[in-house]
Amino acid sequence: MIDLKSGNHSLVENFELMKGLLATYGPDSFQVLRDRAFRNFSEFGIPTTKDEEFKYLSLRALEEGHFKPAYGATIDRFQVEQTIVGQVDAITVTFVNGEHAPELSSAHILPAGVFIGSIKDGLAVYEDKIVQHIGEIASLKNKLGTSNDERFVHLNTAYLSEGAFIYIPEGVSLERPIHLLFLTSANHGPLVSHPRTLIVLEENSDAKVLETYLGLDGVYFTNAVTEVSVGPNAILEHTKFQQEQADSVHIANISVNQAENSIYTSNNINFGGKIARNDVNVWLDGEHTETWLNGTSVGLGHQAIDNHTRIDHAKPNCNSFEVYKAILGGHAIGVFNGKIFVYEDAQKTDAKQTNQALLLSRTATINTKPQLEIFADDVKCTHGATVGQLREESVFYLQSRGIPKAEAEALLVYAFAAEVLLKITIPGVREILEKVLFEKLSTTQELPEFVET
Amino acid sequence: MMRCRKCATRLNLDFGVNFQAKIYVELVWTRAMMPVASHLMIHAIAMLEIKNLHARVEDKEILRGINLSVNAGEVHAIMGPNGSGKSTLASVIAGKSGYEVTEGSVEINGKDLLDLAPEERAAAGVFLAFQYPVEIPGVTNTYFLRAALNNVRKNRGEPELSMTEFMKHIKSKVQLMEMDNSLLSRSVNEGFSGGEKKRNEIFQMAVLEPTLAILDETDSGLDIDALKTVANGVNTLRSTDRAIVVVTHYQRLLNYIVPDFVHILMDGRIVKSGGKELALELEERGYGFIEEELAAKA
Ligand SMILES: Nc1ncnc2c1ncn2[C@@H]1O[C@H](COP(=O)(O)OP(=O)(O)OP(=O)(O)O)[C@@H](O)[C@H]1O
Ligand SMILES: [Mg+2]
Repeated sequence: MIDLKSGNHSLVENFELMKGLLATYGPDSFQVLRDRAFRNFSEFGIPTTKDEEFKYLSLRALEEGHFKPAYGATIDRFQVEQTIVGQVDAITVTFVNGEHAPELSSAHILPAGVFIGSIKDGLAVYEDKIVQHIGEIASLKNKLGTSNDERFVHLNTAYLSEGAFIYIPEGVSLERPIHLLFLTSANHGPLVSHPRTLIVLEENSDAKVLETYLGLDGVYFTNAVTEVSVGPNAILEHTKFQQEQADSVHIANISVNQAENSIYTSNNINFGGKIARNDVNVWLDGEHTETWLNGTSVGLGHQAIDNHTRIDHAKPNCNSFEVYKAILGGHAIGVFNGKIFVYEDAQKTDAKQTNQALLLSRTATINTKPQLEIFADDVKCTHGATVGQLREESVFYLQSRGIPKAEAEALLVYAFAAEVLLKITIPGVREILEKVLFEKLSTTQELPEFVET
Repeated sequence: MMRCRKCATRLNLDFGVNFQAKIYVELVWTRAMMPVASHLMIHAIAMLEIKNLHARVEDKEILRGINLSVNAGEVHAIMGPNGSGKSTLASVIAGKSGYEVTEGSVEINGKDLLDLAPEERAAAGVFLAFQYPVEIPGVTNTYFLRAALNNVRKNRGEPELSMTEFMKHIKSKVQLMEMDNSLLSRSVNEGFSGGEKKRNEIFQMAVLEPTLAILDETDSGLDIDALKTVANGVNTLRSTDRAIVVVTHYQRLLNYIVPDFVHILMDGRIVKSGGKELALELEERGYGFIEEELAAKA
């Protein structure tokens, strides 16, 4: 643990600098949240590998870095359109360095009661909903587990400001996908942003949300928190795609509450960043829910990609299915920690967890830790973890049909990830991800290094 | 630079680039080991020319001096007992790693094949229908074929096919091979039945239109109707500028794909060659009679 109480780390100093500005956002309750969260963060500081939940992830870059608060950056529309996700056909809300950029967002006529925009603007319409959920869903208080670590959630909450807010009222099924686009441009030196998102789906509603974190230039730290409330019978397809700049740190927490009979799908795609950490936490708050957690990460060079998931089966008769895949080359480090808690009442729980890693080099490593803690007796829980390499036989088969080796390998790597990418139904997104994946693999010389014979 | 067809000696005779690729020079040596210019003879170049090929896996020598010359327009059958080296020969031609060629050469249209990567061999026109096709989960047959065809076309200097043109090309081959359409959208060979895999190999061959096709036991696992369809697919590809090598255990296939030559491979060598009647003789008498013949010669 790094002592931040002395107050000379930028993540702490910034708070004093920003205090006045932050106070202008939101009701008084926000200020209470911010202050409490700030105290919590400064008390515990930046985690080190001695902290259980960060055992395999060195955050030295954060410790040693100096990150300015981000505000006032602008990007022109043309530049946004040129990005890999610039042509996604969706209701788009854009943020630049964490700040809402209405000029880069798309205007749409929405069904009555639907709100898609910033938290700041959302407060005017749905203050009660926002206050009810924010900070609550992401909290691990009173949940099972001995090492519940919420430091980066606290850090985000301390800087709670504009944020993104989606509200789908009862019975509304939104055909058009929603795209929350978080762009970062740090060409004036390292900066930090704390994007905060709240998604509320009321009873019987249905939506598809894509969250994209895209780095344009520079070195920076993104610390995102997304809270999701899926109401009774509601259905949400939630894809998060992270393509940060090569020297950046991306830490994100997605916390979900599911009410009875709801279906929630998380597709968690990680390609970018030097250090990427995701915590996906799902609290099953009603019976007969269905949860799908899908993840794919690609780490090359010296990337470190750490995915922690936890599913709290707090109610009986719920099903969860989890598939996390990691593709690692170079000296990349992958971490998967999958917690499944089955609470005492949660009889007839059916939880299935799979974690697979494809290693493209001898120097890449994967640390996998399934963690099932079961306190009910009539449950079905399975988990499986595999680590493999590309099969030489398969590469040769493709080559023998005229496909060059590098392309053959990229194709097989894609095939490995395909199971997860195929879960994404927002039109055009899968194709974008395929393209990014192929480009990423083709710019690396590391591929042919390690093939299983 | 070219080689004598008989003795593999390299000759430094420059006939101009185009001419060089089309001819062979046969030299007759005098006792003094001086070439006699008046014996210079010109031959048509063979499509596949294998000379004294020795190959091993780890410490085990599997191919022990293979000589085989296949001309364009010809169909050759290779038969031989289990473990005699037929698939190894096919693998060495296709460029599978793990085999060490210790001696000899393999050329296609006068071009050294052994130094090429497998995809370059495919570009040079080589196609191997595998005895055991590999399953590739996650890659659909269509995607795979399109990638393969466009690469092959690029190497032939032909433009890539648009999706529509590609589908049209595929459709005619689907009809030819009486392929079940659903196999196209499935992952390559994944969960295919034994027969479906074999049919898929020949379907790929029909799509890619190679100049040298080697079929390794494509007939095993096929039912009687499928055998006819597959043979028909192969026969459709037969032409004066292509060559086909079929590896088989059964004479039956050769009723449908009638070979010009039959070779018997035993213990890493071609021990006997003949016309299509040789296959019939084998069927009747088994490999024993050849062993006896060889023993008698020794
Ligand atoms: N990778 C390998 N490692 C060890 N031995 C091998 C390998 N590949 C081939 N061999 C051996 O080489 C010999 C020839 O095998 P090959 O597959 O070429 O036979 P084949 O003539 O095709 O037989 P079949 O009719 O059964 O298909 C066999 O004894 C086989 O076990
Ligand atoms: Mg064989």
